[in-house]
Amino acid sequence: MVVGSRRRTRLVLGGRLTVLSFGAVVMMLPFVYMLATSFKPNALVLEIPPQFFPHHPTTTNYTDAWTSNQFGHYFFNSLWVAVVTTVAAVLLSAMMAYALARFRFPGRTVAFGLILIGLMVPGMMMLIPQFLLAKKLLLLNSLWGLVVFYTGGNLALNTFLLRSFFQDLPHELDEAMVVDGGGPWTRFWRLVLPLSRPALAVVAIFTFLASWDEFTWALTIINDPSKYTLPIGIALFQGQHSTSWGLVFAASAIAIGPVIAIFAVFQRQFVSGIATGAVKA
Amino acid sequence: MRVRRVIAFACVGAAVAVTAATASAHVDRAHTTTVTFWDAYSAGGGEVKTLESVVIPGFEKTHPGIVVKDVTIPYNDLHQKLITGVAGGQLPDLVRSDIIWVPELANLGVLAPLDKAMPDFKKYASRVFPGPLATNYWRGHYYGLPLDTNTRIFNYNPAALSAIGASGPPRTFAQLVSLSAQAKAKGYDLYAESGTSCWNVCPWIWSNGGTITNSTYTKATGYLNGPKSVAAIQMLVDLYKAGEMPGIIINSNAGLGTYDGINQNKYVGTLDGPWMDAIFSAAYPKTQITGSLVPAGPGGSVSVVGGEDIVMTSASKNKSAALTFLRYMLGYGTQAQMALAGQMPVLKSSAKWLTRVHPYYATYVKQLATARPRTPTPKWTQIDQVITTDVAKAFQGSESAQQALTDAAQQIDGLLK
Repeated sequence: MVVGSRRRTRLVLGGRLTVLSFGAVVMMLPFVYMLATSFKPNALVLEIPPQFFPHHPTTTNYTDAWTSNQFGHYFFNSLWVAVVTTVAAVLLSAMMAYALARFRFPGRTVAFGLILIGLMVPGMMMLIPQFLLAKKLLLLNSLWGLVVFYTGGNLALNTFLLRSFFQDLPHELDEAMVVDGGGPWTRFWRLVLPLSRPALAVVAIFTFLASWDEFTWALTIINDPSKYTLPIGIALFQGQHSTSWGLVFAASAIAIGPVIAIFAVFQRQFVSGIATGAVKA
Repeated sequence: MRVRRVIAFACVGAAVAVTAATASAHVDRAHTTTVTFWDAYSAGGGEVKTLESVVIPGFEKTHPGIVVKDVTIPYNDLHQKLITGVAGGQLPDLVRSDIIWVPELANLGVLAPLDKAMPDFKKYASRVFPGPLATNYWRGHYYGLPLDTNTRIFNYNPAALSAIGASGPPRTFAQLVSLSAQAKAKGYDLYAESGTSCWNVCPWIWSNGGTITNSTYTKATGYLNGPKSVAAIQMLVDLYKAGEMPGIIINSNAGLGTYDGINQNKYVGTLDGPWMDAIFSAAYPKTQITGSLVPAGPGGSVSVVGGEDIVMTSASKNKSAALTFLRYMLGYGTQAQMALAGQMPVLKSSAKWLTRVHPYYATYVKQLATARPRTPTPKWTQIDQVITTDVAKAFQGSESAQQALTDAAQQIDGLLK
């Protein structure tokens, strides 16, 4: 019986591993193909069937991508925009979420409802109104125009996620700080934020990714090539009649570097943040 | 601690980026006029490099009071950016516009009529090929000048042609039909096509003597669904139904793409432009490609004009300087430099020297002599979508070629009003 049970356990485990391995391979294939193509010389055509191992690997695409068309400059523009946006969006959404989670005031439910509506309106519908607003605010053709609107665009989701996390924090801790004389700001800075690192890591990663990848708004308002961001720089490698896929994928591989670094650093908090948000007490 | 270090590192990086971004802005340009030029030249090839490191520096050296700010925009997004720019009043001085956008932009009032704004317009117009020049015409005025041009010819793999036992490429419709059957017997498709838009099928309609609309571009019924247009589409449908054309004409997943198919000895040839040679040289150096004219029908060998025009916006505040740069872009030296980067010149005189730049240009120059522009109308994008959708129905078999083109013509009539 024991032998039979062990065999069944092994079979189940083997089955699980097979399915998971298959899933992992499916998930990894596009990434591997991107890396493989980035090392191919003159990859102007995506071959069918795809080749995952270049016959004559070269790093020329990486040097060409980095040196052509101010690509390095676009990289640092993106980095600046993503970092400032992340700091601003996380801070503002945390304060909004704290107010919505911990205070009772007239219009609180309506305010939260309006924030949720912001999540439901497709971004493309907002393009022209945002453009006209940016023009009036003198934010066209400016990296600050990206920061302001990326921050605004990320507030709704961040606030939604953080509010539910803040609501789960024990009220007794607040009360203890009130007894010790802590005001709302002190409780926010000294209590809520330190206890919410996993949730803050989640919204920081989401915000960084969203502002790092964003293409349409950046293309719409930026007219000066020295202010282009990475997604536009990568798109410029796609020609009208042919695309230098080696350059596109080498540029993409460079672009995902910071994203992987951010994820690796925040990974522990990210996973626990996701898990915490999944179960409501 | 590790998180703090990373955040600190990122902030320092961002600060360095800002410093770098602003450092180059302190150039004294008080005594210069800046001409802003939007284009969709490809950064991956030599186009942007030639423009920014040869053409513009050459211009600025010979025109000390003018600085050109080149703004390269991805091709697929340039049209949208132009339309948004109209709404926000944020337009450049000059645009390198796809020829099919010029009527739309002119109709929106975005473009300055060049034949009025440019005193020596006639001189420059007389120097360029008439087909590309015609793409700038809209309601009595020319709104630009052609900047680069291209057309489609029958590009084929000579080794594959020999393998099917043909002595040469198809020169006529009759040869296309007979060689297609011959190719099928040897396991090849003689002609592969990747879509049913006007770019794909109009060369066949025009070569058969058909047209898309009347000469004043006000009516499609009786023209697009006329007997000659229908017969051209029917010929292609017959080839497809006989299994002598690959299914990629209506479904890109139905087989290998045209380039891969030619490289893998599945297809003999396709209609395509001058960029094809460069792509094959780089991606498939072992596969030789050569070109011949589009097979001739009763209407001759007529292909479709592609390319870009250079237009000036009516909002330009630097019209004089913009026109100076426009003229420079149409100069012999500039056109020759851009030809080296793969941009086919528009100067009539280029026919004499272009083959020295690239021998394969010879057939394109010959084909351009009879090539036609697509219908100049602001609604062209919608019209082309109608053609694409309805012609595909004929291939799918859900409608006859006659019915599909009649449906398309009726819809296009509405768009032309």
